[in-house]
Amino acid sequence: MTTVPNSIKLLAGNSHPELAEKISKKLGLPLSKIGVYQYSNQETSVTIGESVRDEDVYIIQTGCGEDEVNDFLMELLIMINACKTASARRITAVIPNFPYARQDKKDKSRAPITAKLIANLLQTAGCHHVITMDLHASQIQGFFRIPVDNLYAEPSVLRYIKEQFDVKNSILVSPDAGGAKRVASIADKLDLQFALIHKERQKANEISRMVLVGDVKDKICILIDDMADTCGTLVKAADTLLQNNAKEVISIVTHGIFSGDAEKKLANSKISRIVCTNTVPINIENERLDQIDISPTLAEAIRRLHNGESISYLFSNAPPV
Amino acid sequence: MVHDIVVFSGSSHPEIAERICHNLSLDKGKVKLGKFSNGETSISINESVREKDVYVVQSGCGHVNDSLIELLIILSACKTASAKKVTAVIPLFPYSRQPDIPYTKKGAPLVSKPKNEYTFESVPNTPRATSRNSNFDSNETPSKDIQPNEILHQHQAPPPTFKLEQPTPSKADSPNHHHHHSRIPKIPESKENSTSESFSKNHTNSGYKQWVAQAGTLVADLLTTSGADHIITMDLHDAQFQGFFDIPVDNLYSKPILQHYISTKIPNYQDAVIVSPDAGGAKRATAIADTLAMSFALIHKERRSHKSRHPSNATNNELNSASSIESSNNSVSSVPLQQSLSELSVEKKLKFATTMLVGDVKGKVCILIDDLVDTSYTITRAAKLLKDQGATKVYALITHAIFSGDAIKRVKQSSIDKIIVTNSVPQEDHQKELGDSLEVLDVSKIFGEAVRRIHNGESVSMLFDHGWP
Repeated sequence: MTTVPNSIKLLAGNSHPELAEKISKKLGLPLSKIGVYQYSNQETSVTIGESVRDEDVYIIQTGCGEDEVNDFLMELLIMINACKTASARRITAVIPNFPYARQDKKDKSRAPITAKLIANLLQTAGCHHVITMDLHASQIQGFFRIPVDNLYAEPSVLRYIKEQFDVKNSILVSPDAGGAKRVASIADKLDLQFALIHKERQKANEISRMVLVGDVKDKICILIDDMADTCGTLVKAADTLLQNNAKEVISIVTHGIFSGDAEKKLANSKISRIVCTNTVPINIENERLDQIDISPTLAEAIRRLHNGESISYLFSNAPPV
Repeated sequence: MVHDIVVFSGSSHPEIAERICHNLSLDKGKVKLGKFSNGETSISINESVREKDVYVVQSGCGHVNDSLIELLIILSACKTASAKKVTAVIPLFPYSRQPDIPYTKKGAPLVSKPKNEYTFESVPNTPRATSRNSNFDSNETPSKDIQPNEILHQHQAPPPTFKLEQPTPSKADSPNHHHHHSRIPKIPESKENSTSESFSKNHTNSGYKQWVAQAGTLVADLLTTSGADHIITMDLHDAQFQGFFDIPVDNLYSKPILQHYISTKIPNYQDAVIVSPDAGGAKRATAIADTLAMSFALIHKERRSHKSRHPSNATNNELNSASSIESSNNSVSSVPLQQSLSELSVEKKLKFATTMLVGDVKGKVCILIDDLVDTSYTITRAAKLLKDQGATKVYALITHAIFSGDAIKRVKQSSIDKIIVTNSVPQEDHQKELGDSLEVLDVSKIFGEAVRRIHNGESVSMLFDHGWP
């Protein structure tokens, strides 16, 4: 019995065409001919223009867009379902930024666990496998009854730090306790110190007070987080660091969502460089903004998954850009 | 007094939820709806639902995908908060029908250039995908005579997301995405002037026929997955849709309300003619005609293929003129109203849209009955046809009036004298635009009564015939 499907089909929705192009180029495979549109009544329409029968289908769609998150989600679900009804052998959703990842717990009475709902919806639509990156909480993998490969931007970030900064004079900083583990892991690999900022949050997207744990005096502080959304945390963390006599503050995040007035906040901030990966399209303008391309990691994951090779290599190594 | 029942409203249509609650002498359940700054839907349910019978009212209107996801999140939140039973009340079911937009015979949407001025004589011409806009021409250069790029820009449709012939997106294709500009290409609602070649002819992919994914089953599955135990909806476009669900579906009918309107508000209604604007709605319309003992007429659209008579030097322009047939309608019987043929290439089959009226409406008041008006092409054309055939007055009775795109404008300009709709989707804005020519019937009583009966375990069937006036 053959378990490896015969060939890869790459499909992409409207959320991040540039990333899809890059992955497609990296793999040397064209994107499949599909059309994703919206009718005038705002329902989503998906047209499939080539056969996916018995193929290994990869659908690239990220969670982004202030007005379009749900549209992109429906596009993804409809594409998955269309491939399922068209007899694809295996359907893998490639979701670099998993939407609703922060709605992952019942933190107050009757709060929706939307991340779990999304997991269920993907499976209902007919998804067999999920590839994602830097899940806000890796426990979300447990919401699925199908395999989830949670890739890390860490190797790419490590390479970027080594190439760009004076590593010896730097210190890594986690802007909250939740990210401490992620930062500690990078600090270990660079053999650096790390500091932590403890924040007291009263409401979502609002922070009241920040306490720095660690010494950042005259150091280049590299703030590392999994996502930058409204950037309230980042900007306040940067201020806290500078108040503690940091030489310079640089922020590196995986998912640069930059919603609300993030653009303004960043423009007025004292962060000297803002770095994010291209898991979501950049929607702000800032000359201090820099991007790390993670498409090689996603492309390599697709290749390995298709060929039945181990993915774990990618947890500690970034394929060349 | 109804116990242990909670009715929540989604953000799509709070007014009908309010009315349903009023009919049940209940207060609306406390729920906070909103969005996080990154656009993700945020809800919080602020009253206990433990062991309660929960109803969530959400119509498939406005920003449909937002409404749908919001509904799914509320349902699942209630389910995980230990509700005894969760019922989705969906007056207009989203994705129950692919809307009234151009599509090819295979079901692929047609992306085309809109005509500047809409006229009611316009008839959809040969339905075929424009080669450039539809992403399918991997190795086809744009044909010289139509400049699809120009078409694209005139329409301001975002460029195709992935151009296979251009691996690196050009600057113009990858602007700094500002969130006000949707990245999702829209299908133009206009059917006019598709002038380019059909994709299937150019396309070299071993004859694979493109098709449009039907999301109906998926939406049914998503609702079930998110925890819905029961669905209440109204006038499903296809009654078969009920079979997509593994849970009970109560499909209510607006028929009793429409009948009541006809018999009380239309003078001498026995002399009027009930008209179905397409064959698909014939059953719905005849049911009303039968009950009220009225006569019935039907408008039939047909696409006929014609093999060409002349060989091959046809251009796209000629093709266009050949296919822009007018529906000036002089005949009464079921004869294609007009056909025009010109030079066509040999192998090309052209499909001609012809509209015919079956039945006599001369000197009569006509009552058009349909379940759904979206772009309003069907209904406005039908009205024009009826007036041309000598109808004195045209009423349109519609269950679900979405009026997307320029539909309101078309209705205003149309020959429809009065349009009667229900409040299955919000009508305030439409009312403002259309004024007295729009009348809104209230269906909340039917929904309220259905909720009451379902909660009490009583039969719902009597609502099918008698409504709840």
